[in-house]
Amino acid sequence: MKRMIKTAGVIGSGIMGGGIAALLASAGIRTLLLDIVPPGLPAGPDTDKKARNQIVQAGLDAVLNARPALLMQKKDAARIQIGNLEDDFERLADCDWIVEVVVENLGVKQGLLERLEAVRKPGAIVSSNTSGIPLAKMSAGRSDDFRKHFLGTHFFNPVRYMKLLEIIPGEETLPEIISFMAAFGEKRLGKGIVMAKDTPNFVGNRIGVQGIVRAMQLMVADGLTIPEVDTLFGPAMGRPKTGFFKTADLVGLDTLVHVAENTFELVPDDERRDSFKVPEFINAMVQKKLLGKKTKSGFYKKDLTPEWKTIRKVINPQTLEYEEYQWPSFPCLEAAKKAKTLPEKIKAIVYADDKGGQYAWKALAENLIYAANRIPEIADTIVEIDNAMKWGFNFTLGPFETWDAIGVARSVAKMEADGLVVPAPVKKMLAAGHATFYKNENGQTLYYDFAAGAYQPVAVSAAAVSLHSLKASGKVVKSCPSASLVDLGDDVFCVEFHTKMNAINGEIIDFMADGIDYIEKNGIGLVIGNQAGGMPGAFSAGGDLKFMGELARSKKWAEMESFLEKAQQGLQRARYASLPVVAAPYGLTLGGGCEICLGAADMIVAHAELYMGLVEIGVGLLPAGGGCLNLWKKMTQHIPAPVKLADLAPFFLPTFMNIAMARVSTSAADAGANGFLGPVDRIIFNRDYLIGEAKKEVLKMVDDGYVPPVKKPIRVMGTVAQGMVNAELHNMKEAGFVSAHDMLLARRIAFVISGGDVRANARIDEDVILKLEREAFIDFWKEEKTVARVEHMLKTGKPLRN
Amino acid sequence: MRDAYIVTSVRTPGCKRIKGAFSETRPEDLISFILDAAVKKTPALEKKEVEDIMVGCAFPEAEQGMNIGRVAALMAGFPVEVTGATINRFCSSGLEAIVQASLRVMAGWSEVTIGAGVESMTYVPLGGHMPRPHPEWTREHADLYTSMGITAENVARRYDVSRADQDAFAAQSQMRAAKARKEGLFAELVPTPAVRYVLQDSGTYQKETVLQKVDDGIRDNTTVEGLAKLNPAFAAGGTVTAGNSSQTTDGAAATVIMSREKVDALGLTPVARLKCYTTVGCQPDEMGVGPKYAIPKVLKMAGVDIADVGLFEINEAFASQALHCIRALGLENDMDKININGGAIALGHPLGCTGAKLAATLLANMKRKGVRYGVESMCIGGGMGAAALFELC
Repeated sequence: MKRMIKTAGVIGSGIMGGGIAALLASAGIRTLLLDIVPPGLPAGPDTDKKARNQIVQAGLDAVLNARPALLMQKKDAARIQIGNLEDDFERLADCDWIVEVVVENLGVKQGLLERLEAVRKPGAIVSSNTSGIPLAKMSAGRSDDFRKHFLGTHFFNPVRYMKLLEIIPGEETLPEIISFMAAFGEKRLGKGIVMAKDTPNFVGNRIGVQGIVRAMQLMVADGLTIPEVDTLFGPAMGRPKTGFFKTADLVGLDTLVHVAENTFELVPDDERRDSFKVPEFINAMVQKKLLGKKTKSGFYKKDLTPEWKTIRKVINPQTLEYEEYQWPSFPCLEAAKKAKTLPEKIKAIVYADDKGGQYAWKALAENLIYAANRIPEIADTIVEIDNAMKWGFNFTLGPFETWDAIGVARSVAKMEADGLVVPAPVKKMLAAGHATFYKNENGQTLYYDFAAGAYQPVAVSAAAVSLHSLKASGKVVKSCPSASLVDLGDDVFCVEFHTKMNAINGEIIDFMADGIDYIEKNGIGLVIGNQAGGMPGAFSAGGDLKFMGELARSKKWAEMESFLEKAQQGLQRARYASLPVVAAPYGLTLGGGCEICLGAADMIVAHAELYMGLVEIGVGLLPAGGGCLNLWKKMTQHIPAPVKLADLAPFFLPTFMNIAMARVSTSAADAGANGFLGPVDRIIFNRDYLIGEAKKEVLKMVDDGYVPPVKKPIRVMGTVAQGMVNAELHNMKEAGFVSAHDMLLARRIAFVISGGDVRANARIDEDVILKLEREAFIDFWKEEKTVARVEHMLKTGKPLRN
Repeated sequence: MRDAYIVTSVRTPGCKRIKGAFSETRPEDLISFILDAAVKKTPALEKKEVEDIMVGCAFPEAEQGMNIGRVAALMAGFPVEVTGATINRFCSSGLEAIVQASLRVMAGWSEVTIGAGVESMTYVPLGGHMPRPHPEWTREHADLYTSMGITAENVARRYDVSRADQDAFAAQSQMRAAKARKEGLFAELVPTPAVRYVLQDSGTYQKETVLQKVDDGIRDNTTVEGLAKLNPAFAAGGTVTAGNSSQTTDGAAATVIMSREKVDALGLTPVARLKCYTTVGCQPDEMGVGPKYAIPKVLKMAGVDIADVGLFEINEAFASQALHCIRALGLENDMDKININGGAIALGHPLGCTGAKLAATLLANMKRKGVRYGVESMCIGGGMGAAALFELC
């Protein structure tokens, strides 16, 4: 029988255990979450169940209250059952997979596994989320069958958001168990899998913590400040903007120190073992309970002035006093700012002669060398290490990709000049005339394999379609600066946006029309999707506000009108075309991006992390690319034909509230709860699968005999909706919840969605609402307060309430 | 015109909407029960002698629609000849029903009538299921439809009723109601069957009935400190909270009215006469001030001095408006005459029932304390006040 995970057990309800349980529940898996009975309670199961479940209940409560949310939607918590390790242990017999996330103590873990052996059902998988204890020691004494089904599954915090899942096979783990868990983690949980070896702290933490601690040591030695280090190792180097120290504050200094010390203990032969000794001032901070975000004081701290203004402070490593600071700069950072691409930026920093550049070079070079020396100790290939750092630490480029970016030959020469020992495989690669760790050939990415001394293809899952690879292998059939049409094979084509934040502009609108013309002649269906990077990334963060602002400033109202009409008709064209259209949104899908999904597509195949909404009111506007029309249609299109409704208010209100409150979903599941996704739409956990799954849906629709929708009059709520909204807005205005301008905007939005001046339940042509959208949009631009909102947004990136 | 005499005035308990005891009891069951009880509590009166039944209801739709006055009459076992009507003036509907029933008798057109009121706010919420304000009128005059919470905030702000005073008033209402319940002072209350759909051992649900004997919204552990912790319920930075507002409630009440001739023929002792009644309008967005105009108006019409009124029932839609009206009427030092067993903050405000319910409470207290004049008054959504003057027989 095909192996499936229907029920999972999670033992330990701390931050990681709770996070894993939340992810499993969100993915639709029944989950049993267990933790210990509070010490000191009277023995026996007869005492108060509530008291005995107190610890696990607190863990579950923490999951429910976590910000950012760990569950995709609160109601997923219904899939989590709780219990304690004394009364409920037998219930683990139902579980297809049991993961232990208990305290990092070998004896405790051994005892737990011994108990598990007695209850687990035959064939059930058992894994450990340990980050430091060798699996072999943990499973010593267990049966062969147990050890064949035992492995490490190491998640990263916060579990929902961090893509990395390290899978660590034990010596006796069955290959099919390893491949099953890798496939399960990738497809059902959406994770990026790194195959790690059973070595201390595995891949991500081993390389990551060496990088952090060594950078801290060098900071002390070179006399840099904490903000200086964080600025250097921030976005300019393709690292998260929290840098090293703010990241450490988020992780917790105690955790960081624990991992560092643990590694130090377990790697006596490591050539850079001393890289894991944290500087003395950090130990002092841990003693003083300055542990980061969880104690509200770490390397950084926020204070309030008597006027309740926030002052940001940073610790002085010498004095352990908090001091105010400015974000520093170095000439190399200024140069990086001017550089266009990430490789150029990194080069501008690490090859600079100033203090910042020299420091960054040292910290980076040592980490690159350290990573290269860990193959094959911790992982077999450079790909695993790069993926671990990208998925577990949010680096844009992994160590070997970074090495390529700064030029391998140039950097090796500089390393040797500095007296650093460059690993033999790297020198061998250069000596053989290979200039980079990665290269592209015929749309395939190859990596340099240390063991073979030759390039090998990077393994990609068959389900993951890579637009990058397709484009590199000449599958672009049409292109413009803002978008491309990519042949996905099987006569299905993908319109890919590639503007900044994938914002919609005039060029994209024209391009989509051309694309559909092309596919109608040469293909069978369209996928609208892209694979821009980043966490959470942007399918499309909206429309081109600047362009509209220029039209408004020069009062080119007719031009604005015709632009909107072209955009609306473009989407209508796609909607009613004779071929299936599937949109594949992920991450930020706002404003115009949301309108494209709602307006053009027969079906939406969305990534689980979907932040979708019509947010135009934030800048004093309304959706005028068909967003009002199409959200209303989305909300009402699945009313069964025999249902005769006299009252459309239950459909009108959520449509109106979504737009008037600029509601943005917190996940794809939440977008479903808000009505942006409907019953035919699908949610995919792995973003890399999105385009492939969308293509599959296109093929299925064609195979089923695609029937394009027929444009027919739609029912609207008419003027009664406006009376309702006017009365309620009056209350909200009186209550101080909305401004006069909010009220003007919201009234007009209600007018548009309800079809304007028509009787209740009238059937009107879709074009009526489209026309009302355009009129309102132009009228809003004539409002001073809207112009002020737009200007504020363009200047600060934040909405203005006026 | 001849006088109309009140011989019986009774009510069901008031129970919290959705969470309370009547949340699965249909409004028709509440009103038909209390109509039946009112007749049974009137010695020698037979149902066929009642000519017409007026039932106040603020949102007469859905379960409360289809002319609940007529539906309830038949369900209560009145013969088909006895008629029924639904009366709506929002929160004074129950009082309006008593007045209209009395006028029939006073005109000499009827000998026995019933004025009543019912509201299940569980089944039909405030505003009804389909509020549809007029689209064009609301462009300029949305204040006509101002929500009740906002009107309470407006009164608090415009007439300077502090949060602390509202909370203190609310706490007093709770304490009085708790004390009255403990001491059994609600003589007008008739224990009423409450329906529950209960999951059986068989795995299916069955309708069960229990007798509900008390008002279930009273919180005898209320403190001013506890109330002070509540967040504003309606407005950013406001002072009106769930704790100093009336409770939304399910309930019914009924009053039997007769001519002198009929009273004598049946050998009954009447409780009181309806002496005078009036209504008056005010700004819709501060509807809570209604009683401060209606009470002086009704007393002036009747020629009675406010000092001669021994008891008041002034509906506590919100502490802000009740307290403001009391102050405007110069009654702040007469709290021992006002809402002596607590008000709607503790006992609930079942909209269309309230007028009939407060009459039952007022008359029971007048009788118990031997008070000659009693005034019932309330504010009314849309901007009105109503007031009635009763005189003990």
